[in-house]
Amino acid sequence: MKRKKTKKKTGFGLSSKSNLLAKKNCPLSKKNEDEINYKNIKLLKKYISDSAKILPTRITNVSHSKQKILVREIKRARALALLPYVGN
Amino acid sequence: MNIYEHTYIAVPEANKKDIEQIEKKIEEILVKNSGKIHKTEDWGLRSLSYPIKKNNKGYYRNVYFEGNKDAVKEIESFEKYEDKIIKYLSMKLKKIPKEDSELAKEKN
Repeated sequence: MKRKKTKKKTGFGLSSKSNLLAKKNCPLSKKNEDEINYKNIKLLKKYISDSAKILPTRITNVSHSKQKILVREIKRARALALLPYVGN
Repeated sequence: MNIYEHTYIAVPEANKKDIEQIEKKIEEILVKNSGKIHKTEDWGLRSLSYPIKKNNKGYYRNVYFEGNKDAVKEIESFEKYEDKIIKYLSMKLKKIPKEDSELAKEKN
C-alpha cells in the first residue's frame, strides 16, 4: 500500500497522462454482455449520437470486430424504423 | 436450405383478419417451395422512428423460416404489391434463437 502511494506522488505529471492514454477494454467483449442484435434497441442506442449518427470507436472503445457487427445491426434497425436515420 | 428471419410492418389499421391472411399467404409460398415456418413473433403496434408511406405507427411481425432463395424472392415480391404492408426486411441466419426477442417481451 505504501509503495503505491509513493509512486503516484513521484510521477504525477507523466503517470496521469499515461493513464489517460492507456487502452480501455471493449465494452461489448465482456463475458455476460448481451448479443448485438437489431432487436436490442436499448444496447444500440448507446452507440448512436443525438443526431442518430453511429459513434466512432475512438469514443466508444468498441473493438474492430464488434464495431463491424454493431454497424450492420444499427443499419438493420434503421431500415425497419426501429432507430431513426436523422435525429434532432 | 437456409434459415431466414423475415420482419414486416403492416399498416396500423390492419385488423386480425388481414394479418392472418398475410401469414397464410407466406405459409403457402413456403410450402410450395418446400420450406416451413419455425417460429413467429408478434411485436405489436409500435410507433415508427420516421413516417413510412404517411404512417406514423405500424404492426410489427417477425417470422423465422427454413427455405431457399426462391421462397424469399417470392415472399418479397408478394409483399411489395400488398397494400397492407409498408416495409419488410429478410435476413439470413445461422441458427434460430430459442428465447423471445426483447421487442416481443416489451409487448407482453
